[in-house]
Amino acid sequence: MSSNVQSKSLWRHAFEQLCKDKLALTSLIIVAVYAVVAILVACGVLASDWEKSVGPSYNPPSLEHPFGLDIFGMSVWAKTLKGTEVAMSVGLVTSLISITIGVTLGALAGYFGGKIDEGIVWFYTTFTSIPYIMLVVAIAFILGKGLMTVYLALGLTSWVSLCRLIRGEVMRHKDREYVQAAGAIGGGDMRKLFIHILPNVLHIVIINFSLSFQTAIKSEVILSYLGLGVQGRPSWGIMIDDAKLELARGVWWQLAAATLAMLIVVLAFNILGDALRDALDPKLKGK
Amino acid sequence: MNKLSLLSVLIVAVLSMVSCTKKEISSEKVLNLVVGSEVKGMDPIYSNDRYSSNETARVYESLLEYHYLRRPYQLSPNLAEAMPEVSNNGLTYTFKIRKGVKFHDDKAFPGGKGRELVAEDFVYSIKRLADPKLQGLGWWTIDGKLKGLNEWREKNTASETVNYDEVVEGVKALDSHTLQFTLVKPFPQFLYSLAMTFTSATAKEVVEFYGKEFLNHPVGTGPFILPEFKQSNRIEYVKNPNYREKTFPCDATEEFEKIAKEYCGKKLPLVEKVIVSIIKEDQPRWLNFQKGNLDFIGIPKDNFDAAVTPSNELASDLSTKGIDLLIQPSLDVTYTAFNLDLELLKNKKLRQALSLSYDVNTSNKLFYNNRALPAQSLVPPGIAGYEKDFKNSYRGHGKEDEIERAKKLLAEAGYPEGKGLKELTYDCPSSTVSRQIGEYTKQQFAKIGVKIKVVQNTWPELQKKIDTRQVEIWSIAWGADYPDAENFLQLLYGPNKVPGANGSGYNNPEFNRLYESASTMQDTPERTALYEKMTRMAAEEMPWIFGVHRQNYVLKHSWLKNYIITDFEAGTEQYLDVDVEAKKVALEKL
Repeated sequence: MSSNVQSKSLWRHAFEQLCKDKLALTSLIIVAVYAVVAILVACGVLASDWEKSVGPSYNPPSLEHPFGLDIFGMSVWAKTLKGTEVAMSVGLVTSLISITIGVTLGALAGYFGGKIDEGIVWFYTTFTSIPYIMLVVAIAFILGKGLMTVYLALGLTSWVSLCRLIRGEVMRHKDREYVQAAGAIGGGDMRKLFIHILPNVLHIVIINFSLSFQTAIKSEVILSYLGLGVQGRPSWGIMIDDAKLELARGVWWQLAAATLAMLIVVLAFNILGDALRDALDPKLKGK
Repeated sequence: MNKLSLLSVLIVAVLSMVSCTKKEISSEKVLNLVVGSEVKGMDPIYSNDRYSSNETARVYESLLEYHYLRRPYQLSPNLAEAMPEVSNNGLTYTFKIRKGVKFHDDKAFPGGKGRELVAEDFVYSIKRLADPKLQGLGWWTIDGKLKGLNEWREKNTASETVNYDEVVEGVKALDSHTLQFTLVKPFPQFLYSLAMTFTSATAKEVVEFYGKEFLNHPVGTGPFILPEFKQSNRIEYVKNPNYREKTFPCDATEEFEKIAKEYCGKKLPLVEKVIVSIIKEDQPRWLNFQKGNLDFIGIPKDNFDAAVTPSNELASDLSTKGIDLLIQPSLDVTYTAFNLDLELLKNKKLRQALSLSYDVNTSNKLFYNNRALPAQSLVPPGIAGYEKDFKNSYRGHGKEDEIERAKKLLAEAGYPEGKGLKELTYDCPSSTVSRQIGEYTKQQFAKIGVKIKVVQNTWPELQKKIDTRQVEIWSIAWGADYPDAENFLQLLYGPNKVPGANGSGYNNPEFNRLYESASTMQDTPERTALYEKMTRMAAEEMPWIFGVHRQNYVLKHSWLKNYIITDFEAGTEQYLDVDVEAKKVALEKL
């Protein structure tokens, strides 16, 4: 009970601190806007006609089409929005996969120690030695190339750092008085671990979430640029791939749009991640 | 003091080394070429794409080659002493092999010294191409042509080891330097296959010495040597010091007489070294050319407007640098193939509908700068069988009525507005332009409600997918192996199905019959009529969506001498020369 009250005040405290930081608040709003755009695109409200040719090939930016048109006369603005959907969904799904795996394994390893710990540590050290591009190629071989492959490959390769952090944190917490108290009134291992310890390490997960989100976005762009990522729909990476040929004929707007869209969201996530850490990490409190 | 002098000695030493290497590079005649894709390996029997066969042909040689300075294309002897004696019934071809031709020095030979080429080497190489265990990719060129060879292949399919010692009547060594081919039936195109990389001379002891690694250890008789082939982005060949006395041709057709006069009788090859860079993307290739790192390149589509003026002349900023523009139509056709092994795609009306929905004019504008010729069927202009005024009635140009017709055909095919049709997979190579063509195709099909998914593959991956039938629709192109419509029509000949060249698996008894009779005929108006009939048939049946016949636009630097655009590039680099002095001057300007 007492831990519950304490954590609540921690969250409220963090939120208040976040609101005081104008830059962080702006970042939060930007991320929210991207999220809303992604949802609207996914529902088909926005950019549903991205495949439609709306003018001549390579028409430069104009009032009607602020980001210009691409080789097929498609609106680069619509493609950027469609790319937002891909980027945000990759960020979200990848982070969720990596958090689920990382938190579960990290908590188990930290709490039980011994053979389980050794096993999990061995597993993740082995696993990190596989470069994620190799894994993408391997998964693509089984599932075929596409969005699902990107989700899985990035999710399966990005959980290790979180797992390490959670493992260490759980080790620190498992002998604390409140956990002992929980044991004394008859709580089992699972109850102690998931009901009592986990809420106390949740801030790490939140910070990690915002950082892995933007890493995933960047990785998706790289994969799509290399032709290993999403297929047959716009993505910022594919737009940059198009642009590398177009630049020779002076068509810069596709590159600009994709880079700008990515820059803003990645920057916002980075600032937000830092601010969250300042607000949530007890060690940094009072600074 | 001591330290200081040591340092100065070091500095001087380093400086002199730098200047030394610089001098060395500039005084040597080096040819810098580029290839746009990975090279599969250096085994002649597997060199079935242009990239691999160009590389293989620098090291290996065949009996015949195309005369470098004659158009229309004409065969001339290479490892053969002269053109063969042909018997009256057109069945026996007797070759005299050149004497004193040596294989490259290699540790596979006793003492490391390359031995003399004999007629038996050709017998071995032809059998190796037919070897059922090896599944050589050029088997189609001689399949069913040489007496007893197919029987030999079949017999050895079942047995444990392949018996090379058994004499096959179709290909025999009469003595050490006389080779005789006996055909099953008259087939005039047979000689063309002896100019292809597939039939070049390999030495039995080398193949046996390297085993599976033979792919990476090319040992031929050719003008250049490559000690070992590695999958990297650079292949470096050096001149073969023991190359036979082969000289630059003195006879030429009118347009090349100047070259012939200047170089007549010079010993080949003309350069010391050939460096081939593997650069898959257009822009790095273009920039490397502009810096003078490559001697010639095809113009990338996105640089086209910057390089060529609307009146087909070279842009002035390039011409002042001494760069030349060469233009020539190429003997090729691009196409989008259907896998006709699939029940779904056997539906002719579906294929016709898809073709009608595909706007070829816009694709010509977007991807070929409007300089290609939309294909009506599969035979390109420049060879008999092409009809200038023939129009394919399923060729789409983006017009409203064509779309309406396409929709009607689609409904007749059983899929009104695309309902009930699953999403089809479209495979393409992984370059940006190929993907964009894929996206364009997707848009075109979407106009009539057909959905496709575009999947990018590396070139070997795509080839493998085709060979193992894991494809539905894919885009690819065919360049002529020899200047005869038969070479295009064989792409649709039923028995040529994979691993042969008929990737779509089109198999029409009527077409097959026509092909069989035409392929044994000499070049006559009757044969041309048959060719035309077959191209019209293909235009009606639409086993592919026909793309375009491309034009070659090549830029070359002033220091590169004797360069001529050819559809049969394999082995031509021996005729190229580099003017080192001119290169030094020109590089200053770049």
